[in-house]
Amino acid sequence: MRFLLVIVCLLVAAPSMAHQLKSSVTTVLFNKRTSNIELMHRFYLHDTEHAVGKLFEGKVDIISNKVDQQRFAKYVESHVALKTLSGETLKLNSVGAQVDGKFFWVYQEAAIPKGIKGIKMSNGALRDLWPSQVNMVNVEGKGKIKTLNFSQDDTWLEARFEQN
Amino acid sequence: MKKISLTLSAFVLPLAISSAAMASSVEQTKGSYVDKFRQLDEALPTPNVYRSAAGEPGENYWQQRVNYDIDVKLDEKKRRITGSQSIEYKNNSPHTLKYLWLQLDQNIFKSDSIAETTKTFKSTLNSLPAQKPAKLSLGELRRQQFMSDNELGYTISGVKDDNGKELRVTVVDTLMRIDLNEPLKPGKEAEFSMNFAFNIVEEDAVGARSGYEHFEEDGNDIFLLAQWFPRLAAYTDYEAWTNKPFLGSGEFTLEFGDYDVEITVPADHIVSATGKLDNASKVLTRTQRNRLEKAETSKRPVFIVTEEEALENEKEGTDKTKTWHFKAENVRDFAWASSRKFMWDAKGYQQGGDVQPLVMAMSFFPKEGGDLWKKYSTEAVVHTMEVYSKYSFDYPYPVAQSVNGPVGGMEYPMITFNGPRTKLQDDGTRTYSQAEKRFLLGVVIHEVGHIYFPMIVNSDERQWTWMDEGLNSFLDGVAGREWDPTIPWGVEPRDIVSYMKSENQVPVMTQSDSVLRLGPNAYTKPAAALNILREVILGRDLFDFAFKEYAQRWKYKRPTPADFFRTMEEASGVDLDWFWRGWFYTTDHVDISLDKVYQLRLDTKNPDIDYSRLRDIEADKPTSLFVERNRAEGKKTWVEKNTDVTDFYDENDRFTVTNKERNSYNKFLKGLEPWERKTLDRALEEDKNYYVMEFSNLGGLVMPILLELTYEDGTTEERYIPAEIWRRNYKNVQKLIVTDKNKPLVSVTVDPRWETADVDVENNNYPRRIIPSRIEVFKKEKSKAKVSRDIMQDIKTELKTDEKKDEKDDGEEQQ
Repeated sequence: MRFLLVIVCLLVAAPSMAHQLKSSVTTVLFNKRTSNIELMHRFYLHDTEHAVGKLFEGKVDIISNKVDQQRFAKYVESHVALKTLSGETLKLNSVGAQVDGKFFWVYQEAAIPKGIKGIKMSNGALRDLWPSQVNMVNVEGKGKIKTLNFSQDDTWLEARFEQN
Repeated sequence: MKKISLTLSAFVLPLAISSAAMASSVEQTKGSYVDKFRQLDEALPTPNVYRSAAGEPGENYWQQRVNYDIDVKLDEKKRRITGSQSIEYKNNSPHTLKYLWLQLDQNIFKSDSIAETTKTFKSTLNSLPAQKPAKLSLGELRRQQFMSDNELGYTISGVKDDNGKELRVTVVDTLMRIDLNEPLKPGKEAEFSMNFAFNIVEEDAVGARSGYEHFEEDGNDIFLLAQWFPRLAAYTDYEAWTNKPFLGSGEFTLEFGDYDVEITVPADHIVSATGKLDNASKVLTRTQRNRLEKAETSKRPVFIVTEEEALENEKEGTDKTKTWHFKAENVRDFAWASSRKFMWDAKGYQQGGDVQPLVMAMSFFPKEGGDLWKKYSTEAVVHTMEVYSKYSFDYPYPVAQSVNGPVGGMEYPMITFNGPRTKLQDDGTRTYSQAEKRFLLGVVIHEVGHIYFPMIVNSDERQWTWMDEGLNSFLDGVAGREWDPTIPWGVEPRDIVSYMKSENQVPVMTQSDSVLRLGPNAYTKPAAALNILREVILGRDLFDFAFKEYAQRWKYKRPTPADFFRTMEEASGVDLDWFWRGWFYTTDHVDISLDKVYQLRLDTKNPDIDYSRLRDIEADKPTSLFVERNRAEGKKTWVEKNTDVTDFYDENDRFTVTNKERNSYNKFLKGLEPWERKTLDRALEEDKNYYVMEFSNLGGLVMPILLELTYEDGTTEERYIPAEIWRRNYKNVQKLIVTDKNKPLVSVTVDPRWETADVDVENNNYPRRIIPSRIEVFKKEKSKAKVSRDIMQDIKTELKTDEKKDEKDDGEEQQ
């Protein structure tokens, strides 16, 4: 019997601390007013604080240092991608990041392509650091809400809209 | 592409089944009626002599009692536990027992356990020659290596009855059956003993609720021991023996009893455990005992083992041992921690009252805990007891402890394990971030809170995680706000919105190990639900009374969800079946839309008034564009050009009142009964404003409608419409709202303060207003506020350590 051979890539992961919440929620909003797809990523501040400690050298302070906030936002942006159902990449522009209460928000946007029937998305933020990271994405503004749940080894998930 | 459709269908299926099962009583095949207010009696277990319809322990309530006498030894080098225990089992049930079941939780780490063999792998696999690699984490490999290098799980031997006669045992995964030599009759006691041993898991490698943590730099370990001895499984009136295996998520269901535990550890270790230290004179120095006494009345924590002493301690080990003797009364479990790295501080909490006037709040932590632990751990323990007792009962045990180790946060009677640490900086100092401080406060309050729920109010964690985590997350939010309300404590209704509108969920009433996302499902959603129940539906007086009643009824007893639901309803006097059904038994969310507002005007029936009003309405209509343009072009009409030709209708329009109408009005007035006349006169005199509002329930979850009415004069008024408005039609309702003559409405908002977890606030306003998305708001504020920043200068700012952080630094974001 022959097994299918699969390449395995090792995730270098620091041992996980049980207390961090290790989950993020992203809203992908098709905003008719602005004609943009708006991506709003919400992280627990405490998760991001541990993350920047691992991602960047030296002293890092995500709560009050704008430069570190931007560095983390860049990191998130480099781990999120959007495509049309046919596989065309949708260019995401960075909008900014902010601390709000116990959350850290990262914003991105892209123009809504004409006649879009669904999206493919990849959301690997923090999942290269902690295998237990779960990123939930609610796709809104296109009929019934679609939820994508990135856990374990999910790379690309897709949401198809029922209406346009 | 294939993958997502598979995932979706997997989610859809269980939901479809559960809603089909509900269809029998709640949904019908005729019409679209859904009985959101169906009483829960038929879904809840039938009340009986053990559990009453009021949610109280019934007249024949019983529970078993199990006392343990344990001697245990920690082999530090082998990281192995060996122990022996003798157990007294008191059968208070009305049934004769031929066998007893014990929980062997350490067996979850065996390679053939159900938990281990049913772990799933989730990955998008592409066979060669595909270029995309699958992923496997080093953490997962470390875990597998640790588990294959170490023999894990219990070794059990010498199970004997009190006559020394051997007892037959049968191990079934994480459970063990002991066949008694004599059947155990109701009211009788059985005594038996056994030896047990197991290798301790490395917490960071395996991920568990206990284990050891190794510190490379000083070579020492912290040992946290929990689920460390074979414990009697619960035998209950509602489930008999709890046979659900330990799969990792559903925690423990245990019996109360007294413990006498002797713990032998290296002589330089400091031990913290469930219970009161019984041989302080043997294991503590005179100085340490004096410090403990001083701590009883001290305003701030007093060190029993100082940092210097702990640092000295961790430099060298010893082959000598010491035995620490602890006694604990009326607890459902026993845990302990041991290390030579521990410093130890204590402060007496003068609780007063008869139950336990003095409680020693204590913390045990290594140097890695640093100032964060020195300043806040023990104080947070005291604060938790102060707040929780107000909402439940006096803390009934002599000690309450917080221990730092590798476990992020876990609770046991009188002792909790908490993970936050400081960070060693290059200059040798230890600092911590603001979030780490919030985390320490949050986790200590949460875990110490668990000593109340479920360590005393002994809910069945194996089945229902929400019963302890949900209730406790709700209460830790209460206690947190009483510590510092500026810290965002979570469990606000708005915190659960993104989860509740997602497709990815199961009802709260789902057994713990089957829950898809335990955090939002078992912690945040029930906590937010209780918050809403308290702040919106019942109000604080009714809620706090009922909640305290629940806590006191079930103190040292074993409540089920039905007992909680029934007590909260029965003690508050408010029908809450719709609330439990919606929030706990379904995945509905809240989305109430205010679709339309109609203004109504009362007819006076008096033609002299009504006809002129009709004329005004006609006059208010916009003129025809056709006519307007004709006029603009300077066109003169025939009438304008021939002013000499007029008749009656040029003077009197179609709203002209004649005596014909007046006579019929007078006839109408005469025909009225006296009460009708009186009512009409008064209504006409008051001339109130009448509005009909049309609401639709898009989320399915029935909830009260919270209205904010804004009037022409700029004032606002709040109105509360109870959830029962949805009882005959949960989808659409109309409501007549009457306001005074001088209070015409200009706008209406549903749930203006975001108190109900309404997922779409855009449809909450009438007239509709644009609710900008977060990005729109962010962009607007950025353009307003951020341009004035001198980034070229700011970027030169030196990073400060968090402790010295100027609070103004992050002020900008919160403006």
